Amino acid sequence: MAKPIVGIFGLTGCAGDQLVILNCEDELLDLAGALDIRSFHMAMSDNDEDCDLDIALVEGSVVQPEEVEMLERIRSRARLLIAIGTCAVWGGVQAMKNEEQREKLKRQVYGPKGKDFGIIPSQPLSSFVRVDYAISGCPIEKDQFLQAALSLIHGDLPVLPDYAVCTECKMRENSCLLLERGELCLGPITVAGCNARCPAYGQPCIGCRGPVEEANVASEVNLLREKGFTLVDIQNRLRTFGGQSEVMQVAPTERGR
Amino acid sequence: MSTKTITVGRVCRIEGHGGITVEMKDGRPANVQMDIIEGTRFFEPLLVGRHYHEVTPIVMRICAICSAVHAVTSLMAIEDAFGIKVSPQTKLLRDLLVQGGNIESHALHLFCLAVPDFLGYSSVIELASDRPGEAKIGLELKNLGNKIQEMVGGRAIHPVNAVVGGFGLVPSEGDLVILREELEKGIRKALATIDLMAALEVPTFPESPTLYAALKPPSNKFGLFGNKIVLSTGETMDVHAYKDLCNEVTVAYSHAKQSRFRERPFMVGALARVMLFGKFLSGQAKTACRRLGLHKQTDNILYNNAAQAVELVYSIERAIEVVDELLHRGVKKERPRHAEIREGSGTAASEAPRGTLYHSYTFNKKGRLTKADVITPTAQNCANIEKDLRASVERAGKDPVDALREKLQMVVRAYDPCISCSVHLIDLRPEAERG
Repeated sequence: MAKPIVGIFGLTGCAGDQLVILNCEDELLDLAGALDIRSFHMAMSDNDEDCDLDIALVEGSVVQPEEVEMLERIRSRARLLIAIGTCAVWGGVQAMKNEEQREKLKRQVYGPKGKDFGIIPSQPLSSFVRVDYAISGCPIEKDQFLQAALSLIHGDLPVLPDYAVCTECKMRENSCLLLERGELCLGPITVAGCNARCPAYGQPCIGCRGPVEEANVASEVNLLREKGFTLVDIQNRLRTFGGQSEVMQVAPTERGR
Repeated sequence: MSTKTITVGRVCRIEGHGGITVEMKDGRPANVQMDIIEGTRFFEPLLVGRHYHEVTPIVMRICAICSAVHAVTSLMAIEDAFGIKVSPQTKLLRDLLVQGGNIESHALHLFCLAVPDFLGYSSVIELASDRPGEAKIGLELKNLGNKIQEMVGGRAIHPVNAVVGGFGLVPSEGDLVILREELEKGIRKALATIDLMAALEVPTFPESPTLYAALKPPSNKFGLFGNKIVLSTGETMDVHAYKDLCNEVTVAYSHAKQSRFRERPFMVGALARVMLFGKFLSGQAKTACRRLGLHKQTDNILYNNAAQAVELVYSIERAIEVVDELLHRGVKKERPRHAEIREGSGTAASEAPRGTLYHSYTFNKKGRLTKADVITPTAQNCANIEKDLRASVERAGKDPVDALREKLQMVVRAYDPCISCSVHLIDLRPEAERG
């Protein structure tokens, strides 16, 4: 079987998902042997900008018009386009205040003399192109990435969890931060795959992996309201990572001051 | 009069999107620009309105490679605002976490990004097919840094376990004992890295007078923490006065702001630290420093790679020292220190792999953030990168264009720029207009 031809690309983000790939120190060389990596700007200097790709892995969200063109170009070259990381899948933390005007933010940050550049609200890849597969996480989990890579090498589509962090948390027998300690935990509505990493350290889930399919957000919000959290704080947390997903839009955004 | 423009649309093997533009007039550089073309994320406004304990998990997303030091510096700034004093154990664990980040970052830069330049390979993967031993050492060192970050921070990227006032879960003594063994093995690999660096010839084309800046460690020991900024001119200032040093200005061609101190660009990072405080190094790091010739002053940025190799040895030795101290004291299951919310501002700085990192926040009486300012090393270095690019063009301007392009990329890469980091925001409106 011919090696799959792969390109790894980054739009706007922290480069953490590409770094997770480089962090597969024990597997990296095997991985590089099993794949024909033609483009990986973060790690290689001879990049092929034109070849057809079997798989394009794309990290980051779209925040400038040039990135729309870049993404469309990647899409036209690739048989499978896989969004990696919460920025690419949901828009990421930079989508948190998408309702605020970019022009205003730009002037606020760069002042009247700063560079005048095109900027659009942060959006996931799926706002612009067909995404065949999405591996979320901020950053993606190494094991999940390796399993996905393995499936793809064998010509299968990866299988990702369709249940919530809560399920993994119960399996680890952690005490419940939401019900027992009354913390603002998003475990019930966040997609699993991290093995309930934060609750295992005594920290509530902040939803960095984005919402699980068919998340019952209304029930989560009611529960949190009963625990005494304000709608503003609940909304802020829901929108930290999943800002662009429709399920997370449960209340008009207010500025908590 | 002849003019030509040399551009590098995108510098590869750096973290993020940056380019170079050089305009030549009569064979001399007329205009030299480091272009930052990464998209902006408006981090500072994102934080406005958030509770103090929500700030760190958001702001560390500025950058993956230096997320540990972003997290620790952010926590220190919050604690400064509320007057929280953390325990000696927390300080030691944070030191360990930051050393882990330094090891990972330097190993990544040296073996995956920079060294392929010196040895003529396009990537660590290509390096591995010819020189598997060296590639393996690099990946193992990187892995060691990640192990520390996973153990102490709870995750190799974007640590979840470091929180306001302390740690969610402190590592067990058993974990620390296992880590210590790994660190001992790591020293040998770091010394092999010194051997590798010692064999490389360092070109001199970017050399030009350089002003260095770094945090002064509180005792006469090399370190990554301190409350005073020192410049190679001898001037010092408190970290709370960081704006006097960083003086950020916006430039028309870049999404990143630039820093100048009294009109002069300055350099922060491993080379600055070793130039200013290398005399405080001890143990094998001290020997490594002499071996790579860094006990003498240099104005050549390409030595930043050697300085990173020296710091690899230092960070592993320091990590062993911290583990020993933790084991000697006995690890206590502490809860994070409680925060007394009050109105006020806090500022903190740490030495990130690429140089001094500043976080500064203001909170209202409910503990919600009203203002944030983050100044990253790469933003501070941008003006200095341009200075070195100019010097390089002056010396190598007659080279064939492709060779010159390679040299310019080598200069940029030597800084190990973290472009995700450098694209950030600062509130430029006068005080009166701020919300």
